[in-house]
Amino acid sequence: MNTPITNPLRIGLRQEKVIPPQCLVIFGASGDLTHRKLVPALFELFKQRRLPREFAVLGCARRPWSDEEFRQKMSISLQKQIKDEKDSWDEFSKYLFYESIDLNQSSQIEKLRTRLENIDKLQATHSNRTFYLSVAPEFYGNACRALSSSGLLNDPKRSRVVIEKPFGRDYTSAQSLNRLVQSCGQENQIFRIDHYLGKETVQNILVLRFANTIFEPIWNRNYISNVQITAAETVGIEERSGYYESSGAIRDMVQNHLTQMLAITAMEPPGHFDPESIRNEKAKVLKATTLADELEPWRCCVRGQYGKGGTNSSPLVSYKEEVGVDPNSTTETYVAMKLFINNWRWQGVPFYVRTGKRLAKRRSEIVLTFREAPVHLFETTGGRPTSNQLILRIQPDEGAEFRFEVKSPGSGMSSRPVDMEFSYDQSFGEPSDEGYVRLLADAMLGDPTLFTRSDEVEAAWRLYTPLLEIIADTPWQLPIHPYESRTWGPAAADDLLARDNLLWRRP
Amino acid sequence: MSPQLTLQTPLRLPPVEVKSYLEQLWENDHSDSPGANTFCLLIWQPAWVEQQLARTARLSGPIIGTQREELIQAIRKVILEEDLPHCTSALDPKICNILEKYQGSENAQDLRGQHVDSAISALQPRRLITLAPTLGNDHDLETLVAAYCPLPEEGGEGESACGDVVVLKGDVNSLNKNLNILEPLLPSELPSWLWWDGSLDEATDLLNQLSTTKMRLIVDSALGDPSNCLNLLNAKINSGQAVNDLNWLRLRTWRETLAMVFDPPNRRNALNNVVQLDIDIEGEHPVQGLLLASWIADRLGWILKDRQLHEGKIIKAIFERATGGNLHLNLMPLPLGNPSIHPGQIVGLRLICDPEGSPNESLCVILGAQTGECMRLEAGGMARMELLEEVVPNQSTSTEMDVARLLSSSRGRTSPLLEAAAPIASKLLAC
Repeated sequence: MNTPITNPLRIGLRQEKVIPPQCLVIFGASGDLTHRKLVPALFELFKQRRLPREFAVLGCARRPWSDEEFRQKMSISLQKQIKDEKDSWDEFSKYLFYESIDLNQSSQIEKLRTRLENIDKLQATHSNRTFYLSVAPEFYGNACRALSSSGLLNDPKRSRVVIEKPFGRDYTSAQSLNRLVQSCGQENQIFRIDHYLGKETVQNILVLRFANTIFEPIWNRNYISNVQITAAETVGIEERSGYYESSGAIRDMVQNHLTQMLAITAMEPPGHFDPESIRNEKAKVLKATTLADELEPWRCCVRGQYGKGGTNSSPLVSYKEEVGVDPNSTTETYVAMKLFINNWRWQGVPFYVRTGKRLAKRRSEIVLTFREAPVHLFETTGGRPTSNQLILRIQPDEGAEFRFEVKSPGSGMSSRPVDMEFSYDQSFGEPSDEGYVRLLADAMLGDPTLFTRSDEVEAAWRLYTPLLEIIADTPWQLPIHPYESRTWGPAAADDLLARDNLLWRRP
Repeated sequence: MSPQLTLQTPLRLPPVEVKSYLEQLWENDHSDSPGANTFCLLIWQPAWVEQQLARTARLSGPIIGTQREELIQAIRKVILEEDLPHCTSALDPKICNILEKYQGSENAQDLRGQHVDSAISALQPRRLITLAPTLGNDHDLETLVAAYCPLPEEGGEGESACGDVVVLKGDVNSLNKNLNILEPLLPSELPSWLWWDGSLDEATDLLNQLSTTKMRLIVDSALGDPSNCLNLLNAKINSGQAVNDLNWLRLRTWRETLAMVFDPPNRRNALNNVVQLDIDIEGEHPVQGLLLASWIADRLGWILKDRQLHEGKIIKAIFERATGGNLHLNLMPLPLGNPSIHPGQIVGLRLICDPEGSPNESLCVILGAQTGECMRLEAGGMARMELLEEVVPNQSTSTEMDVARLLSSSRGRTSPLLEAAAPIASKLLAC
């Protein structure tokens, strides 16, 4: 008989916190994110029996759809996911409702309020509401103001707002947006989402560091020589040229996802595992982080842009040839930089961060390289001993590996590196949930641990301000280095590490 | 245990005035605080043993109805005095039967319902209603009411009222006569739980009256005659009642650890070739052991073929595996000297997987509450197989902590795993 796909003893064992009765209101419900991520995540929560019976999803957008049309649109979009789960979908789709709302018209918020009151009666959702702003960033302000002025955010225990990235374009705009949303509700009602924090492997960094005694004593400048954080994608910008042209890799990936990974890797142990303790430590470490050379930032940062590539049979176009992209665009699709964290733990340890589109592999990982042994007693098969490395694989092939030297078999005493592996697949045999499943559940539970607080967002923007200013004012100081699609980025990025006698890890 | 911080000194009121008083309390006195939007908890809290110990001066008052170290120590003393088996657990209902025969008429202050374990009050219940039956039959119903707010360290802000507590105290007859005041006190818009904090052998009629279908029932199938416990579980589940069993909840670490062993996909095939399952329990209350065996049987699709009782206490059964072939179950009570407070806790499990014709793939999983138990189960040549051992320390949490864990994590519905396991456990017991 074949090996069971699912561990039969595991089924039904997960015990999660109970999501209280509530209505999730999605602004921008006709958009891409709703059918690609949000509704699938909610359907997953439904299948896991995590949604209460007293529940509703109210989709809001300008399109004049009825409840039934909204359900049908979602069902068509999710066709693949629901084809073998028709009954579950039918049951779940009863929770979906729709209201045509234009947030720019203040009068429409009354319509929303009336609809929500009706849903409260129909679904017994007790006025508990989570408002999800899946709209273009320029509408965040209007949406928050409308919700606040209509009193829908009055009760901080029963209402909260989830805001998608990007949260601001730079330090100043992030500050203004923070002031605006904080004037509409309390900070504990604002959930700034970063879907990287919903990933099991990112959360695992906290467990790895703070649930084991072996790592924390060596997790510092005395033992670690450098840290590399990589988020590599093989895809190009796909159909997001409008957004990407105005953001680029720093705003799209570095300021949020990579900076959050850095914060979790480098933060001090919190006193308690509660939202404020965790976020305090993350904010503290971000405030201590600087570019390696703040006076001449171009020395610690490399920007790149993908050129043509691929094979004769499947050629890939360059960024400038993508539909909707300015043929003279200087938007970066790749960025590599060197940072320092000026605190007791990390003083002098370089953190290298890189991300890019159309790179050789899809791979996100954090690599901690330890200092070399002080004396080399043995010959090594590779010429010199390899430093110990702890590699935390965020995606794909989630897991961790530890690289260390062992005796090479044979009569001599030479050493060679080997890898000790932990793989989520091999240990648990089941895929982990999408980040949005975890984050939506947490938002509805009112648990902000995995959401970024205002000071974290501002500290992250402040960190990259010197670079953003150069890109805006004197872009020739941070030139764009072209690189061939499906390679590991421009040679200049390798030079950034070569200056420190280091190499990027080739995952 | 930390005392509940009430906004008012509990007020004694005639039963008929309770509802209107509470309405006034929230509408006028605390109109700025709508109260927690959480749940109501109705508790049947006889605390017979505590009352008997206080009456016979074996425990100093006040009577508070929650588990505490002094109470457990006083019970252990009775076990020694009465020469009961050392494996008798502190919550065994027969302790109460013994105490009834003792002389004594000490009076202790009865504060049941006014002291709520901090684990429960941290969940900010909207209303706690305690039914506190007293010994004897000469105590008319008294009703106490107060608003409360949780302490800051319990997650509350300590400023505004969060909920209220109602205590109905009197002899069983007076409580029975006044049950009609409960219904209006349970707001229909909030989930209501009934926690039967006593033996399942007693007051069955009252339990049936209180556990209306809208109530989410919390029971402990370790308290009471094993057949009664399983019959009640099955009857309530079959009637569509949402049932939550604390004895089942306490199995969680055992189920989780066993599942963990088979998480790596390369071990899963062994589950098709189980030939023997041995479960050891403390004392003689077999329900928890039966529920664990039944859960495994249900998950792996085993069919019960035969069961027998050996030497009046060892339950033996034969199952047919989903893949064909038989396997043997042995449920063995062990007379341990320092048992858990909960009767019949599991102390060891051994699962032997032996694929026919592939002796090299034999696997023996041993889970023990202590290393000593693991060593005991290793005997008999188990080391010839691939041996996977884990120590699963039994939870020494109080019943109140178990209830808080349940309230914070359960959706209120009956666990489908318990729903599937309970009927199999009943069949296993009916030998």
